Amino acid sequence: MKANISLPIEDERVMSSLKIGDYVFLNGTIITARDQAHKRILEYQKQNKDLPESLKKINGSALYHCGPIIKCEDNTYRFISGGPTTSQRMDKMENDVIRLLGIKFVIGKGGMNSLNTKNNKVVYLSYTGGCGAIVQERIEYIENVIWKDLGLCEAIWFLKVKEFGPLIITQANGKNLYK
Amino acid sequence: MEEKGFEKLERTIENLLVKMIIRVTTNIPPDVLKAIRKAKMQETSELAKTQFELILDNFEYGCKNKVPICQDTGVLNFFIRIGNLFPIISNYRKIINKAVIRATEIIPLRGNSVHPLTNQNPENNIGLNYPPIYLDIVDGSENLKIDILAKGGGAENISKLFMLNPSNGLKEFPQKVIEVIKNASGMPCPPIILGIGIGGDATKCMLLAKKALLRPLNEKNSDRDIAKLEEKLLNKINSLNIGPMGLGGNTTCLGVNIEIAMRHPASYPVGMIVQCYCHRLSSIEISKRGEIINES
Repeated sequence: MKANISLPIEDERVMSSLKIGDYVFLNGTIITARDQAHKRILEYQKQNKDLPESLKKINGSALYHCGPIIKCEDNTYRFISGGPTTSQRMDKMENDVIRLLGIKFVIGKGGMNSLNTKNNKVVYLSYTGGCGAIVQERIEYIENVIWKDLGLCEAIWFLKVKEFGPLIITQANGKNLYK
Repeated sequence: MEEKGFEKLERTIENLLVKMIIRVTTNIPPDVLKAIRKAKMQETSELAKTQFELILDNFEYGCKNKVPICQDTGVLNFFIRIGNLFPIISNYRKIINKAVIRATEIIPLRGNSVHPLTNQNPENNIGLNYPPIYLDIVDGSENLKIDILAKGGGAENISKLFMLNPSNGLKEFPQKVIEVIKNASGMPCPPIILGIGIGGDATKCMLLAKKALLRPLNEKNSDRDIAKLEEKLLNKINSLNIGPMGLGGNTTCLGVNIEIAMRHPASYPVGMIVQCYCHRLSSIEISKRGEIINES
């Protein structure tokens, strides 16, 4: 099955219809977050600090394990290339981060060991590693960026995407497609 | 007069390096392209085919639009082989740093140099002991040969050093390699390319493993026994059914290249360096007058 999905997810029935092996294309705003962004989100929680407003609004959307190449020119940002990074490095932190932000999809490569996909509260989508250049075509614009002090590839980029995919559902409902 | 000639040669090398970094990050070598096309033909599962289709589309898009094929433009490894009859230039570090800074801005590249204690990223891909430069002297040559290998983080993280028991020799070695590849599954962006160094010491075997990746995929080791070992390992890895991105399939590895060196009687070191399918490599050979003899 191939599904075009609009973000944020407002109807839980969309989630419950998803199963492993299906293809998905995403539309709407997604965020990038890798090692350092995950660490900082959990530090905020630990210190009882209020998360940035932009992160509170990402409820129902997708988190992309990606450290993109972004060109900064006169205060504007241009998306150059951005395929997925290895998801397992975020393994220990992901369930907490997802709960805090209300994330519905994790996009990455290689899958995760401890991601809790039971009842499709969250679904893992695999995007083909190394395929960064062609993502350019799927990015409408960069909506926002926070935590640039972490470095450009570790910052959280808010990307407006159009038909981002093909993403394969590789982990859903407690099931796993990885060999 | 002499001084001026040197400056000109140095500038020539710097400009060539910029060109090479553009090529290495926005192109894919023909042997890799051929291997990926062949792998696509050999898949029967739709999932694996889709992966190879997207990989080929992305290669095409990146090459055509001069966009980095993968956002992880990697650690740029510089292998420099200087002919002993080539003019003596001692500031390779300076020339390379200048070229890397320029290329980072032009292409652009991702800032991949991070301070290990402070996590500070200067976003220019240079810094303390970075990028890695490996110098060799080649006797009897008047030329300078440079290879640039872009190594992404996902695959490099799977690399390993084994210190084997000399009395067992290579007996346990294939199984050890298979275990590492199996556990890594989709993490290093399979189908991978494997560089292996046998012998030397801990540092030498790792360096040999990395240098083994410079050899084209369709070229076996000239020693028949080593060539057989390469073949055996390749077939074993491809029987694991890890497939592209760990989603299952007939091709998990595009090639195994092994290099060897003499070892200490008490040590049997084996190094393995894992490379992703996006095996980005560029080479050039120039004469002492700065003319290009070969480039790829």
